[in-house]
Amino acid sequence: MQTDEPVIKVTSLGKDFPGRKVLDDLTFSVEKGEVFGFLGPNGAGKTTTMRILLGLLLPTTGSATVLGSDLSINDEARKRVGVLMENNGLYDRLTARENLTYYARLYDVARPAERVAELLDFVGLTDRGDDLVGKYSTGMKRKLGIARAILHEPEIVFLDEPTSGLDPEAQHRVRELILGLSQEGSMTVFLNSHNLDEVQRICSRVAILHQGRIRALDSVRHLTAAGKKTGFSVTLADPSQAGEAGRILSSIEGIEDLSGKGSILQMGLSAVSSHDVIAALVTGGILVEEARIQRRSLEDIYLDVMRQAGGGEV
Amino acid sequence: MNRILVVAEKEIRQLVKSRNIMLSAILFIVVFGIFTGPAALSGADSPEQVMDTLGFYLVLTLGIFMAYLFTAQVFLREKQEGVVETLLCAPLSLRDLWLGKVLGVTIPASILTYFSAVLIIIAGGVFTGYTLVPSAPVLFHIIVVIPLFIAAAAGLLGFVQLILGMRENQILNFVIIFGIIFLISFTRALIGPAFSVTWAVVGAAFGLAVAILLLTAYLTRFLSRERIVITLPD
Repeated sequence: MQTDEPVIKVTSLGKDFPGRKVLDDLTFSVEKGEVFGFLGPNGAGKTTTMRILLGLLLPTTGSATVLGSDLSINDEARKRVGVLMENNGLYDRLTARENLTYYARLYDVARPAERVAELLDFVGLTDRGDDLVGKYSTGMKRKLGIARAILHEPEIVFLDEPTSGLDPEAQHRVRELILGLSQEGSMTVFLNSHNLDEVQRICSRVAILHQGRIRALDSVRHLTAAGKKTGFSVTLADPSQAGEAGRILSSIEGIEDLSGKGSILQMGLSAVSSHDVIAALVTGGILVEEARIQRRSLEDIYLDVMRQAGGGEV
Repeated sequence: MNRILVVAEKEIRQLVKSRNIMLSAILFIVVFGIFTGPAALSGADSPEQVMDTLGFYLVLTLGIFMAYLFTAQVFLREKQEGVVETLLCAPLSLRDLWLGKVLGVTIPASILTYFSAVLIIIAGGVFTGYTLVPSAPVLFHIIVVIPLFIAAAAGLLGFVQLILGMRENQILNFVIIFGIIFLISFTRALIGPAFSVTWAVVGAAFGLAVAILLLTAYLTRFLSRERIVITLPD
């Protein structure tokens, strides 16, 4: 594979099941080392896309390659890919060590015993390594599932809802694990998730899927910066100046949706910078205590996209 | 290590650790091994002939039951729990996966079936008062042909369980259970007192087992990851 070739390349991908179209003309690519978030409501086609990429389903139209290979026909290429499905892929009646050793042998991992011990330590399960997985908590299973997915040091790892069912602390640890994989190991991560906050924190780029079509595809930074006006709020040191401040702000072009409550004034900035607004207030004799830019979150973007696309359950 | 053997070893390890399944298998063998033999030997036929007939059909039926019991654990349970989806992403061809699982069922099922044959012989001996040793064709049948039938049954059932949905598999399970009960209860009456196990009969059974096994191995060409995935429970 050439170094400049995308790790994932999806071209005009479509998938029909009897009586329904699940995916419609999907085109996107993922570069090496990216943490790519794949978002969408239930039934949007996220899992179907992931299954096609993994070679578990065949596309009706178009093509999907991972590391330059079609995984549905290339068993050996699977060695370079790691997977954590919603189900952790673990056997309850085997110990954690036996589970990892099994997959290590399937993936021809050199010195499997050492690698298994290393990964148990990596996910903090060394002390429980010889316990049956059936006795593990949901969080422990998820961590072990991640260890299983990266056991063979894949070049790309597919993670389906990696923090689902975890408590906040475990979610934090799993997020750190994922970021560590990408930053230290330069592993490409394809993250299928409902958790918008999580995606915003760890993904470099996202695609938002709705009813089988991609409705947004860009870096998180561009998506949250582009489009609508930036939210901006000003807190006045003296609430009695609110009326005067309102008059000054109303005269500035590029300020929209101005509203006020007590000493706080809120507005949207479309064609004016926050610096110009503060400068105008200070010049007008207004005492400004605090000014804050309210950036749009990925959740705002996601909800906008869903509204434009015709709704959907998050 | 060959990936087929890796899969087989894991399946055997998992089966041995499944206390409930092993307990059910041993209970089944003990009950049918100890009680069916003496009941049959109380009839009018010569004990040697009855022992041969039992060695031929009862041990075979018990072997097929073991195959059924273990196949449900090895193939169907993995599908029910969704673990198979992760396994399908491994660098393993579907035929290797199928073969590993069939081997993982055949080895423990054959060992337990040998154990059931020994129990039947011992129970028959205790009941009649003298040592009953099956004839050479029956011994060959028990040692060689029955493991082949176990492999054929596990292969065919496993293949069907992989391609069918959960509801169809439930129906299939009922049919198989009733079929096995029918075989145990009525085979001896159906084949009649004149039936004797000859090398020709054992040879035909051997041929049938090999044919089923080869046919199923051929059918695995038509297994697809998509078929398995779309029949997973929601």
